[in-house]
Amino acid sequence: MATNSNYIHEWWLQRISAVIIAAYVLLVLALLLVSGAPNAAQWQALFAHGGFKLATLLALIAIAYHGLIGALHVWPDYVKNRALLAVLNAYSWLAAAATVLWAVYILFGLNPVSK
Amino acid sequence: MAKPESAILPKARPRPEFRNLGLGDLARYRLPIPGLTSISHRLSGIAMFVALLFLLALLQMSLRSEAGFEAFRTMIWGNPVGKLVLIALLFALIFHLLAGVRHVIQEADIWMTLPASRASAFAVFGVSIVLTLLVVWRLW
Repeated sequence: MATNSNYIHEWWLQRISAVIIAAYVLLVLALLLVSGAPNAAQWQALFAHGGFKLATLLALIAIAYHGLIGALHVWPDYVKNRALLAVLNAYSWLAAAATVLWAVYILFGLNPVSK
Repeated sequence: MAKPESAILPKARPRPEFRNLGLGDLARYRLPIPGLTSISHRLSGIAMFVALLFLLALLQMSLRSEAGFEAFRTMIWGNPVGKLVLIALLFALIFHLLAGVRHVIQEADIWMTLPASRASAFAVFGVSIVLTLLVVWRLW
């Protein structure tokens, strides 16, 4: 976040990631509204579906990025203590990275969903 | 000869002035609804980002086994505090999405008059409350 052109890229990426997240959220909310609360078999079958796995991974990557950029912009507006700000920024980076890695593990490394 | 304005107009209620807002002033400070939407957009985003790893843990729990799913259903969704937190996060999600849509629309120079800005801000709150209740009703 150093140059003006980076801000333009960030501005666009924040909106592109928002569209990806919104599409996924609306899909899941529509599924829940139509079929109601799923049981274990239905829920796990949904996440065993290849297409839904991919959509979930894409959405979680978008969420990690969108959340990271949002957090990095919001913290300094309210947190004036530089040490605390550094902690919050570091946590934001770690949480975003962990989200992506953990999402891959849950979707592709976890039995029984990934088998 | 024209009368001074103060003699024609009804005496206006003195408006509170806030120069440098302190914590004690927050109770008296009434943020206009578009401002309330803006700060709530930030708050809901931060709340979801802070909850993100906790939510991934729940997702893993629900997908690991049938017993894990049932544990989520009884211990988290069946727990009043767990249910309240998850419903609050669901509201944050729906609100953040709709407030984001309104934000992007306003970036395109639409809904920029004061009445339209106020009406769309009210609509974001109203629609997200109704949608949240609808989803909660389906999942209860």
